[in-house]
Amino acid sequence: MIFVYIFTALLLVISLIMQAHTSFDVLRIAGIKPDLLFITIVYCGYSFGSFYGEVTGFIGGLLHDAASHSPLGLLALPKFVVGYIVGFFGRSVFKGTMITVFILLFAASFVKGVLTLVLCYIFSEATASSVFTIIFPEAFYNALLAPPLFFLFDKIFEKELEREGY
Amino acid sequence: MEFFIRHKSIVVFVLFFLFCIISLSVHTSPLTLSLEGMGRAFITPFQKGYNGAQQNVRKLWAGFTELGDVRDQLRLTREKLQHYEAVAEEVSEIKKENDRLRKLLDMQKRVTNDSIAAIIISKDPDNWFRTIVVNRGSSDGVRINMPVIAYVGEEKAVAGKVVEVRGSVSVIEPIISTGMKLGVMLQESRFPGLLSGYAANSNFAIIDYINKSAAIKLGDVVVTSGQGGIFPQGMLVGKVIKSFVSESSPYQRAIVAPIVNYNQIEEVFIIKKEPDKELMEVMGKVEP
Repeated sequence: MIFVYIFTALLLVISLIMQAHTSFDVLRIAGIKPDLLFITIVYCGYSFGSFYGEVTGFIGGLLHDAASHSPLGLLALPKFVVGYIVGFFGRSVFKGTMITVFILLFAASFVKGVLTLVLCYIFSEATASSVFTIIFPEAFYNALLAPPLFFLFDKIFEKELEREGY
Repeated sequence: MEFFIRHKSIVVFVLFFLFCIISLSVHTSPLTLSLEGMGRAFITPFQKGYNGAQQNVRKLWAGFTELGDVRDQLRLTREKLQHYEAVAEEVSEIKKENDRLRKLLDMQKRVTNDSIAAIIISKDPDNWFRTIVVNRGSSDGVRINMPVIAYVGEEKAVAGKVVEVRGSVSVIEPIISTGMKLGVMLQESRFPGLLSGYAANSNFAIIDYINKSAAIKLGDVVVTSGQGGIFPQGMLVGKVIKSFVSESSPYQRAIVAPIVNYNQIEEVFIIKKEPDKELMEVMGKVEP
């Protein structure tokens, strides 16, 4: 399991640095860029259960908060909540096909977006139009990138997933 | 104890939830800020390392691909230099005349401030915020609320302002951020307004509170008004691309395309100008 911890930590840091780097802006479509860190968190919950999903979501979210200009906890809370929910169902419900991974990421990103919007509304500033300008486009973008990334992650964690019986 | 172990997922969930809610409720407290600082201190070396590696690869690649361009540019630059050398003498005369006229008119000389060149090491990784992190911090003399500019070709324009400073890095809020409030005016007609980001995912800004009597034209140049106490007056901001009047509002609004493109910006200059202290005190924005 130590292998999983090390690679999860590496994936979290790499995905955060990549999406924070200036060159990542070339991937912006309609002003929106995908959330690689969140895709990693959903994968962890999906593959290793709710406890692992929420811990990964919390740590990844705190790092995201530190790298972003958001108040501490604003991005962490939606991430660990979604990590927990996804892990609650996991692979037993969402079989690893392209369609289910697409739907899973779209739904998870949407829930994350709505939670972020509510928190922004309470603790920062937000407008309802963000549902159309940020939440939907980002959910679609994340869902589009998820199948190839899940495939890549499956290869990285192949042995551990075999041990878990998947 | 057995209960906690058996239900560790729910126990941890509740603990995380409480942490986030408390942290958000007191997000300006020193403890929360130091936790955030620790997180940033952890991330910054990785970001700097990645940025450095990427810059080196780009330089190496540019060495192969841009040699022809560099040769052409050198020729053009030499031609320009000859032209400017001729202009320089003329400018010197005009400058002297300008100084004399300023003295005559008893005008206050424009204060020129030093600036700090900074490289952007990261941009906000989230779609909800639009901030920029640069490789200069308090150790370089950067302070909160210092204005930030960037060069686009030969044009110098406003990029944003410093909102957070750490030892070796600073966070800049660009003018397209929805949280930004910048006092501006239309350069030609001199009508003032308040500029902020248009939307979280947009690269445009919007000016509010422009008097209805102002005739706004497409392409009108927008400059800083100097009324916020942070930016000097007359700095280039952007150009108007659309204006609209609402029947219910006594003001009109204009959408502005900033000169500095957020997606392409790589280097900025932080102007070492302390904000107007008296104005900041009134606004309750004095740096602790």
